[in-house]
This record gives sequence, structure tokens and C-alpha cells, in this order.
Amino acid sequence: MIEIKGFLETSLSDWPGKICSVLFLPHCNFRCPYCHNHPLVFNPEQYSTIPLEKIFDRLHSFTNWIDGICLTGGEPTLHADLPLLIRKIKEHRFLVKLDTNGSNPRMLENLIEKGEIDFVSMDVKAPLDPFRYSCSIGVPIDLKPILDSIALLKREKVEYEFRMTVVPGLHQEGDIKNLGNQLRVGRRLILQNFNPENPLDPSLKQVIPYDPQVLKQIEKEVQEMTPSPLSLKDESAILTLTH
Amino acid sequence: MGLIKIFTKAHCPKCPAVKEMGMVLKKEGVPVLNYDLDTVEGLGEASFYSILATPSIVIEDEEEREVVSWRGVVPSLQEVRRYLLRGIS
Amino acid sequence: MSTVIEIKGDHQGFKEDVETTDMALFVRTSDEAMYGWDRQKIVDALIRETYVDVDTAKEIAREVEDLIATSKIKMITAPLIRELVDTKLIERGLEQARKMHTRLGMPLYDVDQLILHPNKENANVPHGPEATNLTLAERIKKEYALLSVFSQDVADAHMRGDIHLHDLGFIDRPYCSGQSLEYIKRFGLSLPNSIAMAKPAKHPEVLLAHMVKFAAALQSHFAGAIGWDSINLFFAPYLEGMSDQELEQLAQMMIFEFSQQAVARGGQAIFTDLNLYWEIPKHFENVPAIGPGGEFTGKTYSDYLKESQRFAIALFNVYQEGDGSGRPFFFPKPLVHITEKFFQTPGHMDFLYLICEVASDKGNTYFVFDRGETAKISECCRLSFKLDQTDFEDAKQPWRMRYCALQNVTLNLPRIAYLAKGEDAQLFSKIGEFVEMAVKAHLEKKFFIERLLSLGERGPLALLAMDRDGTPYLRMHRASFLVGMVGLNELVQIHTGQEMHQSKQAFKLGLKVIAHMKLMLDKFSQRYGMRFVLEQTPAESTAYRFAKLDLKFHSPQSGHIVKGDISKGEVYYTNSTYLNNSAVLNPIERVRQEGLFHPLIEGGALTHIWLGEAKPAKSSLANFVRKTFQWTQNDQIAFSPEFTTCNCCNRTSRSLRSSCAYCGSNDVDGITRITGYFTKVSSWNKGKLGELRNRYRNQAFLTEKEGEMELVVNTK
Ligand code: SF4
Ligand SMILES: [Zn+2]
Repeated sequence: MIEIKGFLETSLSDWPGKICSVLFLPHCNFRCPYCHNHPLVFNPEQYSTIPLEKIFDRLHSFTNWIDGICLTGGEPTLHADLPLLIRKIKEHRFLVKLDTNGSNPRMLENLIEKGEIDFVSMDVKAPLDPFRYSCSIGVPIDLKPILDSIALLKREKVEYEFRMTVVPGLHQEGDIKNLGNQLRVGRRLILQNFNPENPLDPSLKQVIPYDPQVLKQIEKEVQEMTPSPLSLKDESAILTLTH
Repeated sequence: MGLIKIFTKAHCPKCPAVKEMGMVLKKEGVPVLNYDLDTVEGLGEASFYSILATPSIVIEDEEEREVVSWRGVVPSLQEVRRYLLRGIS
Repeated sequence: MSTVIEIKGDHQGFKEDVETTDMALFVRTSDEAMYGWDRQKIVDALIRETYVDVDTAKEIAREVEDLIATSKIKMITAPLIRELVDTKLIERGLEQARKMHTRLGMPLYDVDQLILHPNKENANVPHGPEATNLTLAERIKKEYALLSVFSQDVADAHMRGDIHLHDLGFIDRPYCSGQSLEYIKRFGLSLPNSIAMAKPAKHPEVLLAHMVKFAAALQSHFAGAIGWDSINLFFAPYLEGMSDQELEQLAQMMIFEFSQQAVARGGQAIFTDLNLYWEIPKHFENVPAIGPGGEFTGKTYSDYLKESQRFAIALFNVYQEGDGSGRPFFFPKPLVHITEKFFQTPGHMDFLYLICEVASDKGNTYFVFDRGETAKISECCRLSFKLDQTDFEDAKQPWRMRYCALQNVTLNLPRIAYLAKGEDAQLFSKIGEFVEMAVKAHLEKKFFIERLLSLGERGPLALLAMDRDGTPYLRMHRASFLVGMVGLNELVQIHTGQEMHQSKQAFKLGLKVIAHMKLMLDKFSQRYGMRFVLEQTPAESTAYRFAKLDLKFHSPQSGHIVKGDISKGEVYYTNSTYLNNSAVLNPIERVRQEGLFHPLIEGGALTHIWLGEAKPAKSSLANFVRKTFQWTQNDQIAFSPEFTTCNCCNRTSRSLRSSCAYCGSNDVDGITRITGYFTKVSSWNKGKLGELRNRYRNQAFLTEKEGEMELVVNTK
């Protein structure tokens, strides 16, 4: 069974409209230089595992309050038995939100098709080209699974959002707009400011985050990019990724 | 076996019925605790269960978890019995 | 002033056989004059101010003269003479006479400190000449209060730190009040002693101007907050036909006016609370509305729902913007009442989102929960008045709805636990003694204020004595007398070895203590026909003061109990009935557990949820607010974000930082909520700083293995 390494009992900021608990799952296939949860990615052994029963026990005392559980990491979809964990959570009648980097579209599709998850939040790391993406995640990557996951979510069988963590130096304003243009999901693209506290790559500690007001403005702009009609270039991009 | 807590006030018109019920259950061997909201003990305990009206009844299981409660209303004896049985596990 | 009288006093009466020693001595008095030595003045003062007989007075005067003569000094101050006289009174065992003859004042050193260094007792007071004036006056009035308003045992209990008498420096005013705008709408602005008198306002801007003036006048008659009931509703009849833009402008004026420090006493902002409703409160539904010119409009308030709602929205739009540099407005505080009817009134979700967005971004919003049939007016940091049957009668003529709390006395609960030495019976009987002392203090203050009020519109409290509707403005029979508490958590900890969040037993003891206090106050209320209620003390400096005093009197035990950092002097007790600030409790638990106390604390209670850096989605906050209303008995909640504002580039960023997030400057101020209102961290007293360091924010969680601890922050 998946080892649960972290448990935040209440969060008001992880699931819009909901009060949720957050479970942190270990390991990740990416190495984003700005990752905050890197101890969870590299050395999950250093944390004790929290038994699922204990968690449900605790949640029992919040009946009427906690709407759902958010699964995050690390990268949850790395674990083959994630669906099992989700089913257990569902048995306790909680909604489930999945945070993912989109590298496992198969599992994602499965979960969506079976109606096992209620909300997906996918991290998008850079404009959708292999070179830029690899830079942002710290490892070489084949974009195909990422594009597949994006297409999958855009079928709208489940509620979803895309989140981009914006790091000065790594992402220019143009990159954000580029990505916005490629995704064209309106208000479903959320920008998140980089937090210089304890990043994976220590050199990033010196980086001063974007002015929140500026970021807000950019976010507004990309959110105003209408979902359709798609420009020709985008259409071909989407086409290539779904087939 | 479950535990039943009864919250009453001296000058409450509906309370005697509930006290009566408590007496009956006690005779049957059910652990019954009576609290008077005009006393420190009673008001403190009532606050713990957010009880603002009398009469009120709380049934707890053996781990002191609330099974059911009636606040400001008088349930029938059968109803109370039913939940008490559930408290046994 | 006493020295002036002492020297200038008229010389009739005991003049006959005074042979004055011809001393070449000058006396410096406080009325900026020097006088030659005159022994008779000592005699006069003693006769006038105390009960000693003429012979004793003369004898004392002669002895003092000898003393001064042998010392050969050339210049002496009047206060010193007075002290010398006092020593003679003591020698004779004339303790009472000495007290009556005492001089109030301050050492040079203290005044020097005061003028040069900021006042940390009340973080709402900026440092400046006006502020030091205020402090100096307060010091004298405080001494006066302790010597002559309160009996010795009450004063001693205060000095020892068994209890704390709040706002002693404002001894000659009531504590705080709740206002009805209807009063000035109906009667205009005609204040006693003021030269100009204004007829009832015809335009909204004028009404606002009246409100601001009146608030300023009230501020100089009350020690604490001025709350305004249903302000959006009462403005509504003036707002018909106004465009959104005009409304927003009015809202902006209102908030700016009340947030401006300049208008206020000693540079202290007016603690203003605006009570707001999305719906028409039940008790005002069928009340005839007063409109421009103080005339009844012929409609009832139910007919003004639209304007009332639009104004509420406009106000929150202004809060959302913040001040010129995006900082939250510190004052006035908006309190939105959440009721059953709120959720039945169309448009409530959008409004809830709006006020939650402000709560998340700026933290201003207070959510006041009025469940079932209760209705409340909130005013002070957390004080509220629950309306009862007579009030609902009054509601038909809303200008009658004027309330006040006369005084606030706080009990040092940990002190009780030290004294009880672990014995239950002792604990509860000591609580009884402390409560009784508080009640006694209230009786004494009431007596004193009534004396001032009895002088009517010519007396010092003319404004409160003015009578425009058949009753004096201050309705003494509706006054509350507040009893607060500090450190319930530590009381429980001392008595049981566990803090309240650590076990059910410990928590239940806490409830029992508060239940005991409430039952006692209920009895006293009956006995005296007064309204004694519990209140969560806005324990700004009290928690610090009690902790400090207990470190002195109850060491070494207290050393293990007080919270904060002893080495830095940043010590405090946990506020009122709160759970330990640093305990890892999620907001649900906090709201639920702390809320269990709230029904016992009729004077009003509040749970803070510290957000720190986290910026929750407005929809999630709305969810939380709705559930708090539905599933708890919590009285009031507020969410507190933290900010850093830069003195260099003037921009404001989220969370407390040591340097500016924009320009890197170190010249920054932290802003967060202190007890009831926002303020700059740099102006906090030491106890508060300690509390800030210990505050648990709901944004990180701990996972540990073999003693290792690491913070993992969810940013994914
Ligand atoms: S995807 Fe990147 S940010 Fe997320 S856990 Fe993996 S390494 Fe960290
Ligand atoms: Zn700056």
C-alpha cells in the first residue's frame, strides 16, 4: 500500500469552494528546481508513515466539515495502487482531488472514466515545448504524456484546473502568455507565485518573486484568452497530442 | 453499554418527564447521569455538548463518543431505548 | 493642580497667632510662580483637605518648618513640602489623613521617558505630543481612581494583579458603547456646550459628517469603542437614486473618515465598528423609516433592502481596495451579521463571497453569528449586546437603542490556581472571591459615574446626560458591567498539569470554571438589578501584566507556566478562554472548541483564525463560515492574514518578513491583528510579541521520525 508521508488536516486553499484534508505521497519523477517538497521527493524514508486508519479516525471527528481529500506529493500517480487508496477514501464518502504533474495519463484516464476523482489539478511547468519543459522540471522529458493529460482534462469529464508556478528567470512574461495561448482554458489556468523558501535548487533562494499585482494582471490576461475558437497553430498542436 | 446524560433545570416545565424517564432507565441498569444547568457541574457539562436548552438528552458509547442527542425536546422512551441498544457493541 | 491650591489658598480662618519665621526661602509651585515661605499655607491645606484639627495642623507646620530651616536650602518645591508634611502625618499614625493629603504626579524621569519613548500599552496610540498629553493625563487619573474612586481592597487587588481594572486613566467615563444612527437622523446634531447646532441631515454626505462629528464627541466620553448598529440599513433611506459610483464614493468617505487618525483623541483612531446586515434584521422589518430631514418617509425599512445591500457592497469594495498603498484599513471594523435570514435572502452567496474575499485578502471582515432568535449589536473588540424583549420594544423607535458597558474588570485566573494549590474546593471558592471583588469594583465605578451624571447637562458628562427623547442619552438601566478573564488555559494547566487542548478532562475543567463565573454573575445581577456579564477581555496589555506580576509573586512555579520567552521579557498568558496559541490545532477544532465557551460569555466572544501567509479561496472561506454558523455555537470569527509594509517603496506584501519583498529594504513594518484590530507589529508590547512568535498558523504540518522535525509546506 502507498505510504502516506504527510497529513494536513484542514486546508482552505487547496480546493476552491471546499474544505479538504491533504495527504502527501512520496517520490516524484520530476526534479523541478523550485520544488518545496523535495525532502518528500528524495528522502521520503526520513518521515514516518502515517497509517491510513489513523487518518480516518481523525477525520471522523470532523464529520460535517471536511468535504474531501486532496492527494498530492511528490507525484501520486507514480504509485500503481493509487486507485486502491482512492477507493478507500471514497468508501468513507469523501470527495477526492488529485494533484498531478500529468506524467501518467493512463492512470488519470482510468480514474476519470471510472468517476473515482472529483477534481484534478495539473501542474503545467512551462510552455509546451520539450526543451523549455525539460529546463523547468530538471529532467529530460517526452512531452507526449503531458499533452495527453492536458487533452484528457479538456474533455471536461471531470472538474479540473491547470496550475503554473511562475519563477522569475525560469519563466518570462511571454512564456506565461505562450502557455496560456497553447492551453486556452480561460479561468482554469491559475498562476502561482514562486516562494523562495527552501527550494530544491538552493540558488533559487536569492530569486525575488514576481510582484503579486503584476502576476495578477498577467493571470487576468491569460484567463481572458477565450477557450475557442482555437487558432490553427493550436489546433494542430492539440491534434498531434491526442493521436 | 451506552451511557445516558440528562440535562435539566429546576424551573423547566418539560423537565420532570425526562427525569422520570431517567429514573426508569436507571432501574433497568442503564448508567444515567443527571445534570442540573443551574449548577456549576451541570452548566459546565452542558456547555461541553453545546446544550443551550432543557430538557436535553445525550447518549454516548463506551468511548464517550456522542451517539445521539435530543436538545430541548422530549423523546419517547422507546426511541431512547433503541439508541441505547445501539450503543452496545 | 493641588499644589496651586496649596499655595494660593485664601488665608481666612486660622490666621490669628501665626508668627512666621523669617526664612530666606522660596517655594516653587506648579503655577509657574515663586512665593516666599509661609507656614500658614501648610496649615490651610491640612485643614481644607484632611480632617486633622487646627492644633495638629499647626504643630505639623512648625515641625516641617524646622526641618527645612535646619537643612539650609534656599529653594524648595511645593511637592516636596507636601511630602514632608505627609511624613509627619505618618509619624502620628494619621494614615487616612495622609491619603487624603497625597499629591498625584509623576517623577521627572518618567515624564522624560514618556515624552521620548513610544507608548506600548495600547498599540492604537501613535507616539507624539498629543499622545503623551493623553498618557500624562491618564497617569494622574489612574492614581486618582485608585485612591479615591475605588475602595482600598479593590485598588489593592488591582495593584497586586488579582484583577485588572481597565482604562483607569479614563475613570470619569463609561467604557464603550453601541449607537443608533437614528438618533442623529431624528434629532440632528445638537450637542450640549457646542455653539453650532445642526438640524437633521438632508443629504447622505451631511449625515455622514454628523455621524463623524458625533463619533468624535462620543469618543471623548467613552474609553473604548463606538459601535454603530445596522449602518447600511439606516443610511439606506438617504441613498435612493444614487449611482453605484456615488455610493462607492460615500462608502469611501465613510471609511477614510473613520480611519484617519487626525480627528481623534491623543492621535488615537476612533475605535469604530460598523454593524452590517445583508437582510433587513427581523426587528426592523416593520419599523417606519426615517429619511432626509429627519422625517418619516412613509415606508418601512423593509422597503429599503436594495439600497441597504448596495451600500454594504460598496463598503466592502472599498475594504477590498485597501488604503493608498494597498494596506488594509485598520478602522472602522466591518461586522457582518450572519443569521438564518441571511441565508434566506437572495444574493447572499455573492455577498458572502465578497466579504470572504476581503477576509482572505485584507482580513477586515468580522463574521458575527446570530443564531435562532438572538440579535446583537457588536461594538468593542468583541463586546456585543444581546437584545432582549425590552430591546425589541425599543427597536420600534430605533433611536432609543443606545447601549453602553460601564466598565471592564478582568480576573487573573492563573493567580487563582497558584493560590488554590491543586485543591478543587479552594479553586472554586477563590474564583468566587475574585468575582466578588470585580462586582465590588463595578458598584464603585457606577456610583462614581452616577455622581458625574447627576450634574446633568452642566456637568462633565453633559453629552451623556442630554435628554432629547425623554431619557438621558446614556441609559444607565441598560448598561452592562463586564467581567473578563485572562489565562483560563494556564489556570487549568496549573491545576491539572494539562493545558486545555491536551485532554477532555482539562477542557471540561475550563468550562466548569467559566460556568461558575457565569452563574455567580447571574446571581449578582439579580441581587443588584444590574447586568453583569462575562466578556472575553481584549487583553492587550493585561495578559502581559498578569504574567509579569505572577513571575514576581509566584515563582518558581509561574516560571513553568507563563507563555513566551522569559529571557526576552516577552511573557504572557493565553488570552481569555483561548486555547494555547502555539498548539497545533486546525481551524475547525479551534472554532468548535473555543466556541463551546461562547454561549457562557454573553458579553461577546471571538475566535481568531490566523492565516499568516495562506490566502484561502473565497469560496472555501464561505464554506467554512457557513459551517461555523451551522455546526457550532461560536459567536464571532475573524481571519487574520499578516502583511509587511515597506517604508521605502510604500508597497505592501503578504506575510511577515524582515525585508521588503519588492525592493529588499529592511525598513519595514509588520502588520497583523492585535486582539481586536490591525496594527503595526513594531508598536506591540513585549507580551504580544511573544504571542506572535508562538502563533500557530494553519499552513504547515509536522511529520517526525526519531525526534526529527521538518516543516513541509504544501505549495504544490
Ligand atoms: S513535480 Fe516538481 S514540484 Fe511537484 S513534487 Fe515533483 S519535483 Fe516537486
Ligand atoms: Zn520596498
